[in-house]
Amino acid sequence: MNAVDGSDHYTKTSDEPPPSLLTIILDTNPHAWALLSPTLPLSAAIANLLVFVNAHLAFNNANRVAIIASHTQRAEFLYPLPAQETSSHTNGSAPQNGFDNDVEMADDGEPTVPPLSDDANHYRPFRLIQTTLLTALTTLLKTTPPSSLTPTTSIAGALTLALTYINKTTLSLSTTTSSTAPNADTTLAAETAPPALNPRILILSVSGDLAHQYIPIMNTIFACQRLSIPIDIAKIAGDTVFLQQASDATRGTYIKLDHPRGLLQYLMMGFLPDQTNRKYLVPPTAVGVDFRAACFCHRKVVDVGFVCSICLSIFCSPPEGAICLTCGTHLQLGEYGGKPVVVARKKKKRKNVEDGKGKDAT
Amino acid sequence: MAPPRGSAAYKKKDGTLALSKDGQSVSWTPVAPPGSKPALTLPLPIITNLQQTPASNPKVMLKIFAQAPGTSTPETHVFSFTSATAARAEADALKDALSKSIQTAKSGSALPGTPSGAGASSAAMAIASAVSSGRNAKGESDAWYDDSKLKQDVELQKSLLMANPSLSKTFMESLRTKPESISSSQFTSQFWSSRVHLLRAHAIEKNQTRGAYNVLSSIKPTTVDNEIKLSISKEQIQLIFNQHPLINRVYDENVPKLNEKDFWARFFQSRLFKKLKGERITDADPTDNILDKYLQYDDDTERAKRLMAAHVPHIIDVEGNEENHSQRKGNQPDLTMRPTSIDRVPIIRTLNALSEKILSHVAPNDVDPSLPIGVDEETFNELVLRDLQGDPEENRVILNIKDQSRFFNSDKESGLSADAILYAQQDPAKVLQSVQADLARVSSSTNLSTAIGVDSDSDSSDDDTSNPKKPHVGSKSSLSAATSQMLSLISAQRAQHDDLTISSSSFSTSQSSSTSGLSPLIFERLSLTHATTTEFLQHFWSAFLSGDATRAAEVSKLIETLSRAMDRIKAVAADAEAERNKEVEERRKKVQEFYDRTGKKRKVDYESIKGGAGAVNGLLAPTVRAIGVAKKEYERALREQGGDVNGV
Repeated sequence: MNAVDGSDHYTKTSDEPPPSLLTIILDTNPHAWALLSPTLPLSAAIANLLVFVNAHLAFNNANRVAIIASHTQRAEFLYPLPAQETSSHTNGSAPQNGFDNDVEMADDGEPTVPPLSDDANHYRPFRLIQTTLLTALTTLLKTTPPSSLTPTTSIAGALTLALTYINKTTLSLSTTTSSTAPNADTTLAAETAPPALNPRILILSVSGDLAHQYIPIMNTIFACQRLSIPIDIAKIAGDTVFLQQASDATRGTYIKLDHPRGLLQYLMMGFLPDQTNRKYLVPPTAVGVDFRAACFCHRKVVDVGFVCSICLSIFCSPPEGAICLTCGTHLQLGEYGGKPVVVARKKKKRKNVEDGKGKDAT
Repeated sequence: MAPPRGSAAYKKKDGTLALSKDGQSVSWTPVAPPGSKPALTLPLPIITNLQQTPASNPKVMLKIFAQAPGTSTPETHVFSFTSATAARAEADALKDALSKSIQTAKSGSALPGTPSGAGASSAAMAIASAVSSGRNAKGESDAWYDDSKLKQDVELQKSLLMANPSLSKTFMESLRTKPESISSSQFTSQFWSSRVHLLRAHAIEKNQTRGAYNVLSSIKPTTVDNEIKLSISKEQIQLIFNQHPLINRVYDENVPKLNEKDFWARFFQSRLFKKLKGERITDADPTDNILDKYLQYDDDTERAKRLMAAHVPHIIDVEGNEENHSQRKGNQPDLTMRPTSIDRVPIIRTLNALSEKILSHVAPNDVDPSLPIGVDEETFNELVLRDLQGDPEENRVILNIKDQSRFFNSDKESGLSADAILYAQQDPAKVLQSVQADLARVSSSTNLSTAIGVDSDSDSSDDDTSNPKKPHVGSKSSLSAATSQMLSLISAQRAQHDDLTISSSSFSTSQSSSTSGLSPLIFERLSLTHATTTEFLQHFWSAFLSGDATRAAEVSKLIETLSRAMDRIKAVAADAEAERNKEVEERRKKVQEFYDRTGKKRKVDYESIKGGAGAVNGLLAPTVRAIGVAKKEYERALREQGGDVNGV
């Protein structure tokens, strides 16, 4: 009908702030949680997290949440669970199966949500999330062989999953609100119209050692920067590495929890406001950001070093033969290594030198 | 003044080198056959370069480089001056005159000089100025990108300093406090070498000139002493001739007869002027027998000529479709749109035509200069179905990252982190079991309000004293500890953002919060000290790291300067402290008075008075640290090199 109707439709856009989508990435490294269990056992943390999620959903009817587990070797959705692959659509191609049109139950590997028993005292959506999350998490831990445990966690994979989910949700929401116009118009309308959804990502991190995922994590950070998705980080335990840069680049909040037992208070006070509210509040993010990068040859943290002008990779000392390790270009070095008193042996010219620490902190 | 000349030898023959009377050429006449014609004549436009032997050289020679148009290599002509007494003076005079004339010929003048020259020689002038400005523009744009030229351009630097007061303050202050061993020129070059981008931006900004504008409407007479005066600049006259070629014609035809001043006086009072401006001509205007002849000049022919010049592609040519002209019969167009009533509202036509003319000289804004100029390309682009083209290809540069595994197996090279060591001590199977068991405690039917451990009825004091070692998760103490940490983070953030937002916020009652309690004077001194210290630190590092042995003395002097900078910072801190003490005293006195008056004691929190040495030290802590680092590096290098540390 809309295609034929030539009159203009002035759809009334609501003036209220758009609902927000909170994506929580839960670091489930078993080693780290085992270390933490004297102070903050996983059960207590999950309970606090569930209260926080309920609070977020209670704010606005249209608010949504997604929970992703960042495990040692993989990342998985804990809520909402991916749709089960039913075999009903294959029955059409094999009519000789006869009347065996039953939907096969998924095999043991897939987490199956048990049927929800009605509890009159428990709000149904909250109950659904609680059940799904716990079932999925239990299954995840059950299917982890002890040999696969590593000191790290796949944050990069989890971030990518979060981004895809956000993209999917945003697309599905924007097409339902706009009229049936040709493709070029919807993208234009989507750009100029207010966003249908305010997405943000919250990472609950308990482990460190992310240096070898530097490149993928930085890629996701830049993607979030472009899409203006703030990444909040609650560092319960573990090495900081460059998660601080993530929250700083995307204008999120980074809090290192000094008192993990008060997790609920941190969550409610620091991470509950959504993007529209943050404009009016002072974020409790850490003041100084550690911008130091790790050098590409030794993974040492450096503050003065050499930078390749082609690929911008950082080295703590000039590489041998003046050949950049990542892109293989032969580089010229500028002057460096002067000594004040005696006649200095002229070293190769250096490429570039980052500014000394402290001068840019004011 | 007689054109300069001197006796000089060319190709081993004696003769005279002289500048011609009109200053347009240099000629050399041999002496041998008396009264002969000049053997060599070099017109000025082809002379590209001049060289002269220095004053210390007993031989006086002048070398002229001439490149005739059409030849690719310049040829040199060497003249050695042979006069016994005045060789040097003659050579100098000739050289000065030559270089001056060459200069004027090269730069050309933007203005036509006098309107009298505009008529006949305008064509020649235009070509000359176009050529010279073309050369000039290219030379200038090269200068913009040539860092060394920018650094040497003192004029540019001076004007930039005048335009930017904070920069000039920094410059003056650092110049004043620099160590004596560093010369001014060294210091200046160092100063500007880190600010080349500022110089470039300033140079480009200065080079922008005002574009053409509607000149006639901007000329207004002023009344001075009951007399009507009108002043026009040469530039305006030039613009008038450009925009209204009719006036050019009138001028050319009438000026030999009329005085120039009279011409302009009559012109600005005539009806012609009004017509060109676009104002309506009433019957009350004075008539002018000469100028009114041109009232009949029809502007339409000129506009038609212009339209023919701009070729309209047929596909978008609207006028080509005249049959569809609905306004031919029926509705008469609006008063302003009727073709016959020019005299009623001439201003619209005139202004439109004028603006079109001005704009046609300006480079178009919406045309992509990289496209070929042919019309076919444009129309093709307009016709092409953009939706079917697909995505534009992305401009990506492929990085050949060799050996990506370097990024992924760094753990083994750098050693294990503390966490990894701890993890290694745990047994994986046991870990998994414990975590799973822990998780089993929370099930889907757990009542969350008890699971989170928040006991709203408990007394906070009980928690603190009864079980100080192990408060459970969610206890009051842990929650309050968390709250206090959050609040401290928030206040730290707020202090950070204060100076950014406070100036625009309407809630700021005192300006002291933006300067953290310091008075504006002290704050100024502080920022100045900071700027100069940063400048010296930069200088130090570039000298230190350059490895140049010749700069060793410079480096040592810079260290001295840095210690003096430290003393300056301490001085500012001391002043700020004194100021704060004064403030505290005043408060104390007030409290005392209040007590004396009313007998009530009022508590005053002296800690909350901000400012003083604490604020100064806090603000400049990074700079102080940087100075410390610089000193440490220097002393370390000094020790390694075997020099003795002079207590610097």
